[in-house]
Amino acid sequence: MNDAFTPKMNRRGFMVSVLGAGGALVMGTRLQAGYTDAAPWGTEQPAGTTEFTPWIAIQPDGKVIVYVAHPDIGNGVLTQAISYVYEELAPRWDDLKAEYASPNRNWKQGNFYGNVGGPLGYFSGRSTSQPRRDAYLGAAAGARERLKVAAGAAWGVDAAEITVAEGVLTHAGSGNSAPFTDFLAEAAAVTFEAEPTPKPREEWTFLGKESPPKIQIPQITNGTAIYGMDVRLPDMVYAALRQSPVMGGRLKSFDFEAIRNMPGVRAAVEITPTDLAEPNRVEPPFPFGVGPVQSGVAVIADHYWQARTALDAMPIEWDDGPGVKWTDTKMMNDAALAAVETAGDVLLSVGDVNADFEKGGTIVEARYLTPYCEQMPMEPLNGTAMVTEDRVEMWHPSQHTQMAWSMAVQQTGVNPDNIEVHQTFVGGGFGRRVFSDDARTVVAVAQQYPGVPVHTIWSREEATRQGRYRPLMAGMLKARLGEDGLPTSLLARVSGGPGFFSMGIGDTAFPLVLENAQVESVVVPDFHVLTGPYRGPGYNSTIFFVESFIDEMANAAGQDTLDYRIALYSKWSDPGWVKILEELRTQSGWGTPLPEGQARGVAIGNWGMGGRSEHGTTLGAVVHAEVTREGKLTVHRVDVAFDSGRIMNRDAVQVELEGGTLFGLNMALNEGLNIRDGRIVEGNYDEYPMLRIGDIPEIHVHFGGLTDADRYDEIGEPPIGPVGPALANAIFQITGKRIRTQPFREHDLSWGGAA
Amino acid sequence: MSYSLNINGQTMEVDAAPETPLLWVLRDHLGLTGTKFGCGIAQCGACTVHVDGQALRSCQIPVDSLAGAEIRTIEALDPAGQHPLQTVWAEMNVPQCGYCQSGMLMAAAALLEANPNPTDDDIDLYVDNICRCGTYPRVRAAIHRAAEIMRT
Repeated sequence: MNDAFTPKMNRRGFMVSVLGAGGALVMGTRLQAGYTDAAPWGTEQPAGTTEFTPWIAIQPDGKVIVYVAHPDIGNGVLTQAISYVYEELAPRWDDLKAEYASPNRNWKQGNFYGNVGGPLGYFSGRSTSQPRRDAYLGAAAGARERLKVAAGAAWGVDAAEITVAEGVLTHAGSGNSAPFTDFLAEAAAVTFEAEPTPKPREEWTFLGKESPPKIQIPQITNGTAIYGMDVRLPDMVYAALRQSPVMGGRLKSFDFEAIRNMPGVRAAVEITPTDLAEPNRVEPPFPFGVGPVQSGVAVIADHYWQARTALDAMPIEWDDGPGVKWTDTKMMNDAALAAVETAGDVLLSVGDVNADFEKGGTIVEARYLTPYCEQMPMEPLNGTAMVTEDRVEMWHPSQHTQMAWSMAVQQTGVNPDNIEVHQTFVGGGFGRRVFSDDARTVVAVAQQYPGVPVHTIWSREEATRQGRYRPLMAGMLKARLGEDGLPTSLLARVSGGPGFFSMGIGDTAFPLVLENAQVESVVVPDFHVLTGPYRGPGYNSTIFFVESFIDEMANAAGQDTLDYRIALYSKWSDPGWVKILEELRTQSGWGTPLPEGQARGVAIGNWGMGGRSEHGTTLGAVVHAEVTREGKLTVHRVDVAFDSGRIMNRDAVQVELEGGTLFGLNMALNEGLNIRDGRIVEGNYDEYPMLRIGDIPEIHVHFGGLTDADRYDEIGEPPIGPVGPALANAIFQITGKRIRTQPFREHDLSWGGAA
Repeated sequence: MSYSLNINGQTMEVDAAPETPLLWVLRDHLGLTGTKFGCGIAQCGACTVHVDGQALRSCQIPVDSLAGAEIRTIEALDPAGQHPLQTVWAEMNVPQCGYCQSGMLMAAAALLEANPNPTDDDIDLYVDNICRCGTYPRVRAAIHRAAEIMRT
């Protein structure tokens, strides 16, 4: 079963088709503005439905289905997708319905969806990226023009004179007017030598102007939305899962006899770990190997509570494997810190750092550390799969449906033509559900209990301890300051376990404006703890290192920390950085007096620039904090300004920046996993604290940093880097204590001779 | 064991072990999946339901303690999904991923039923559910707005 599968069809251009007789579609009777179903993975379309490319279908009743290849994890992707179509097609907003695209169809049609926007583009992030936007706008413009041609032919008028609004075609001169639905079949038959071009941005009437709220809110607030956890199927059974407490360890034995007679218990099944040398059966959407299953055991029962109770009661023995040698957190921290003392792989090398250091003067040098952190989405990992000899069907809360699909292919070897993944609502992702090890594990459990849907649920504790974490990372930064106090050279090294992320250290503006810069990365090869994309990978640690260090330099130079950054970043060719800092100066009240024990700190970073000017999203934060002499910390206010170039839906941007600010704050303040004998110590929210509504600061999101550069860059990840260091920098201003490790709550912040 | 529960104004029969938490009775035995599992230890509040008008975390309530209790879940917050909290939640674009929001809404609804004009401190105390997406600023603003609508 190791044959590599190849797609049967090549990529095609604009595709139009009239679907044949389909199953009768039962439509809800409730009308609402732009919508999706509680079960968002789509349904068979009714007979007479016309597709205008696999992005858009128009039903005979006038409903416009927009296919979305990226799971909406709370960022508004569904709403954005229908917004694009609304702009160009001009249907009634109320007729627009978003459905998730099928990864099975994607396969059968030559990776139609996956080819747009590169390997990380579709089925993952970047809902407003240009390739995706162009695909929707182009498909909608093509549909609109076809409808106009069909109507023009029917009425005997020039199609160019036909106007379109609210799902109606109108020819003013002849007085003709009719809905889209009168011309669907005729429009589908229209061919163009060149596809119609979407309107230029200047003519948009909706995009960038209106801010519709997320279309799935009604299903969320009335409890009908079907998250992965809520999938209910005939004959479904539940599985409770436990995997080796030391990652890389193996199941030695389990005693099913001890639980066999407990209520509802059906079986206990062993999950065998993936052979890491196994070849890919299909080309995975990620250009690197991900998703291996870890050794474990699952108890299967009629209900989850029965399965979980029985699992807890079942004796299990493990071979811990080599990871057990890490006796505590400090041992791993020390290993990461030791690694930055030795030379590593060069990420950036400009000028001659050592020669500059030898000139003497003020040398600033510091070491930083960030811990393993778990994404902790509110919906614990879970998924449902039904596996038979020749078919796999899944219902999964994925963050990358195509990757989940590819993992089902990989795990089972079943012909990809017969594998389908239904994308459910997702209770948060933050990177945890991208690599799709969760999806593959769900399939691995279901394989052991074939023929019925098996719903596998990780307990919160299991999900926390079997994570793919923000990596434990250390950083060493050393700079020499010139006579103006600004750095003339930088040596920076970061370290972490295999697969750690170094984004944000060698490819951010700071080293790029220096004449002498050496940035290196060092891998600690025997770290066994698995890591993955936690919101703002790499950047969520490196910006803490860089922006804390810049503050240390500013203080060493005796300069205002915001002025210092403006002096430094004005050397960078992207004007967004300085514009943001000036916006923050104005909006945050920077420099205005505060009572004793209070101060402001600032930090800035860019997610996605990859060393390039005017790329990615730059974001700055000013944190206004208070620390009592006894060391009690309160964050009063956070001001955020950013430059993503342009924005599409202002409120969607604002809401995501509010949430990201709180995520970044919680990460820096509260989050960190500990290790004992190779195991993750923390399991649940009592040990891994989260900010609650009473803990949060005022958040002010400012739009004055936008440069109007021609891009609509990402919003979810940018706040994660700078909020933490901005707070650490405020704490330093108050207490004189420089916080160089996260989480901040572990530090004694008392100051001024407090008892 | 067989139990007869009063849920959303209906009598529902369920067969479950006595210690089975109400959360799993609702979700797995009765198919009322609007009430969410988030932590299982009464930390996060995603499983919040009303028991005799009080917002409680259903993961900690064994089914055999519920004889005679009136249980209300998100599915019955309003028959048409038009409770002022629900309409304001949409207008103010409150939810992000949405998974914690059933619990947030049930906690907020119980608060407003007991206190039609809550202060920020009241909200901090009674709506202490965890939201990983960071919807807190909008949750707070929306509760105030819904309270205003319900008072007029």
